[in-house]
Amino acid sequence: MGSLTGADVHATAAGRAVLLLRPWLGDWRVRRVLRALFTIYLVCTLTFFIVRLMPANPIEVFIHQQISEYGIPYDEARNLAAALFSVDLDRPLPLQYLGYLAELARGNLGTSLLSRGTPVLTLIGRFLPWTLFSVGTGLLLSFSLGILLGMVMAYRREGILDHLLTAVGSFFQSVPNYLVAIVIVVFFGVQLGWLPITEMRGAYSPGMQPGLNLAFVKDALYHAALPILTYVLTTIGAWMLLMKSSTLSTLEEDYVTVARARGLRDGRIMRSYVGRNAVLPLFTQMAISAGFVVGGSVVIEKIFVYQGIGFILLDAINRRDYPVMQGIFLIITFAVVAANLLADLLYSRLDPRIRVSGGE
Amino acid sequence: MAQTARPGKLELAPPGLGQRLATAVKVFFRLLGHSKAGFLGFLGVLFFVVLALAGPIIVPDAGRPDMTKIYQPPSLEHPLGTDYEGRDVLKQMLRGGRAIIVVAVLAATLSTLISITFGALAAYAGGWPDSIIMMLTDVVLTIPQFPLLVVLSAFVKLDRPWLLATLIALLSWPTLLRAVRAQVLSLKEREYVEAARALDLGIPRILFGEILPNMASYIVMSFTIGMTAAIYAQVALYFLGLAPLAGENWGIMLNLAWVRGAIFYKDSLMYILAPVLAISLLQLAMVTMSRSLEGVFNPRLRES
Amino acid sequence: MTAWQRSSTSNGNPAPVLSVRNLEVRYFTRAGTVQAVRDVSFDLRPGESIALIGESGCGKTTLGLALLRLLPKGARIVDGEIRYRRRDGQVIDVLQLDQEEIRRFRWQECAMVFQGALNALNPVLRIWDQMLDTARAHAALSRDEVRERSERLLRMVQLEPERVLNAYPHELSGGMRQRVMIAMSLLLDPQIIIYDEPTTALDILTQRAIIEVLRSLREQLDFSMLFISHDLPLAAELADRVATMYAGKIIEVGDVREIFYNPRHPYTLGLIKAVPPIVGELYDISSIPGTPPNLIEPPPGCSFHPRCPYARERCAREMPPLYEVGALHTSACHYWQEVKLERQVVETGD
Repeated sequence: MGSLTGADVHATAAGRAVLLLRPWLGDWRVRRVLRALFTIYLVCTLTFFIVRLMPANPIEVFIHQQISEYGIPYDEARNLAAALFSVDLDRPLPLQYLGYLAELARGNLGTSLLSRGTPVLTLIGRFLPWTLFSVGTGLLLSFSLGILLGMVMAYRREGILDHLLTAVGSFFQSVPNYLVAIVIVVFFGVQLGWLPITEMRGAYSPGMQPGLNLAFVKDALYHAALPILTYVLTTIGAWMLLMKSSTLSTLEEDYVTVARARGLRDGRIMRSYVGRNAVLPLFTQMAISAGFVVGGSVVIEKIFVYQGIGFILLDAINRRDYPVMQGIFLIITFAVVAANLLADLLYSRLDPRIRVSGGE
Repeated sequence: MAQTARPGKLELAPPGLGQRLATAVKVFFRLLGHSKAGFLGFLGVLFFVVLALAGPIIVPDAGRPDMTKIYQPPSLEHPLGTDYEGRDVLKQMLRGGRAIIVVAVLAATLSTLISITFGALAAYAGGWPDSIIMMLTDVVLTIPQFPLLVVLSAFVKLDRPWLLATLIALLSWPTLLRAVRAQVLSLKEREYVEAARALDLGIPRILFGEILPNMASYIVMSFTIGMTAAIYAQVALYFLGLAPLAGENWGIMLNLAWVRGAIFYKDSLMYILAPVLAISLLQLAMVTMSRSLEGVFNPRLRES
Repeated sequence: MTAWQRSSTSNGNPAPVLSVRNLEVRYFTRAGTVQAVRDVSFDLRPGESIALIGESGCGKTTLGLALLRLLPKGARIVDGEIRYRRRDGQVIDVLQLDQEEIRRFRWQECAMVFQGALNALNPVLRIWDQMLDTARAHAALSRDEVRERSERLLRMVQLEPERVLNAYPHELSGGMRQRVMIAMSLLLDPQIIIYDEPTTALDILTQRAIIEVLRSLREQLDFSMLFISHDLPLAAELADRVATMYAGKIIEVGDVREIFYNPRHPYTLGLIKAVPPIVGELYDISSIPGTPPNLIEPPPGCSFHPRCPYARERCAREMPPLYEVGALHTSACHYWQEVKLERQVVETGD
């Protein structure tokens, strides 16, 4: 039996579909987005099955708890569970799964077990912006400062600044980020009293009205300052070292020598010839960094008592509020997947060599 | 390498496994020797590992609670002070490393095994197996590892070391696999691999006989990184109270110190700072050691 | 007065646009100090084209870089003078210029097209942006003027401006990129252009194209050319004068025809004999046996003597100066009178 010939491919419907889609599939950006969507789909599926198939099946646990603690009859408990977890327990598992996916697509992430009547999505909406704000600012600051310092270190290689920054950066990079947070709280906050730790708790001061005015923004920054400081301290080392190494290799490139031969000014060379090329490889690190910081935020928000999504996740875990846990985990994953996607797309915009041919 | 004085006599027998291992160890130490920091890091790691394993033997008991001695400042009798129950902190510190390091080693071993096997396979085989493995790796890599661990901890009681180790390993293999695959891809084109292929030695023999021994230091580096990731995850889980607080490892000490207010008194500072210092120094030592090894594979990073 | 000074002030000959005297460039490495360029002197007259020919490692690229003071770290010009005459007649010493002055000197007065332009252009900027960059760094040209000039020059090198200016470097082939660099080198209308191995690393068809381009440019525009190569036949096509370089020293200079028909240095002779003929029977090609000397500890006397069939004991002792061996023809060989090219007249059939 031979392999499919071109004519055979045309003959099948699937083959025709693939041929139709080929120019689309050829664009690596489309492939990249598809991959992101696939990851999200996989995570939703994973979450669904973990919840249902784990030894301590939270739905069953909930139902039994309702029966034993509150004396609610089985059927009622079951209906309650179905509503809260946003699953239909009457249907067979595969259909439940599809129903769950459908609900997700509509934005229904279930309802909180413990604050009845509050949809998980609402809860998330209340606290997610704070994490996005602190983590986002931290990452942005860390990246910008990091690449600047990295370039300086490369240009002044082996100088005092280079050695100092390498040492400090590596140090903070190796120590777990939450330990840095603990030391900040214990030392500078409690013991030395340099920082008003208790005052800085929370996402914003009590009594302040959230709104897009300067006073509120300043207040928000004040409260987010310590988490942001921790994120920056513990990630800037990586950016500095990566940028330094990338700048050093870029400086050896022919086009830099030619740029000097063309009599271009040093500033222009540094920015548009060295800088723009040296920064490109760093974008692959962006995704890893984002995922890492988001992960660390779970612990760091607890340490600084900053009510972001990490803080609420811990709260939900401690109180066994499964729908909230599940919802938050999904949202965190979506955020990281989105960040990855953005980083990749941004990279392709900045590097013309990638645009047409393909990503990886 | 012995030089025979007589021309025309060639030794054609390939070196045996024992000889290979000996060479790998020699290469490892030579690489470390290149960098003072790396060597210091290695010594640090050695120190902590010995401490962790020997500690519980030297100190068989952490002592019984003594409510009259709560949060005492460091003294001759209690060099690091006492905890919230009056127990000696130093003794707890000596006993507290083993659980964490054991789980870290387990997790790193599992993770390294998975990533080496599939990473090398993917790189060497190419084509379909490579695409599938890479796709799976990329997807798992994108899922934020620590939040997943945190959520899983609500469903699974993490009271057994191998359970904890497996969970951690399941989340950290993608990073290592990518690195292993990249390294194997670059080594694949070297001459000795071509020669082995010409001799038709077969994939497993080539992988394990030729490529991997030359990656020995790289594997050590990956293993070390796996350990640092595992320690990070473990300590965080204990600190958050998501792993059972049975025993007295450093993570548990952190949790208790935080929750029991040790941070508010000057006298009890060492109770929280000792584990912080120990964990930080251990991580630092491991990262420094693995960085110096990495410097070999990326010479531009080396400060010459 | 040496032949040098005489030739540069002879009546009827315009004053040179570039005057190099006793240039000495050294690389300071861990293995030792490499004397890459030793006591090099030559003149470049306006509109003239000089080919600097030598094998790899003879110091020719280093010489080119030194003229623009673009030597890499670890290399230094330790002695000598590089005098340049501007269009307004003012003579400046390139080695005395400060940072800003040398920046302005580069490309505007003297441009250099490097070997293998594959990576000579910034990958993230379009060609047009890089042209603009070059212009903006120097002359106060308006955008339109730069546009007009770029388009004209690109057409002169046989490229389509509309397509090329909008493109990124990776979208162009190697030969196209080389031609872009040639066009860019003329953008600011410099007096001197240095071409380092303009045809190496290109396939034979592209090589011919580049040579044609360079030839036509020389006819249409007025600039002096110094091109560096190991390829002697290339000199025949593009050069007015040829200088051969060996072990950091210039060992023979002369009119291109003189050099080819009447070489007076054993090394030059060897280079000529090493080129196989296109037509006729293949006679024994004699390659020059041996290898170039170690420039960390150059041997005393003539650097070529270990490989030279004409060498005698004087050659090992005494470094030969550039003897005047003919009209505007010098050679650094004690026994230049004995050096003779036996030409075989090739009969092509029919």
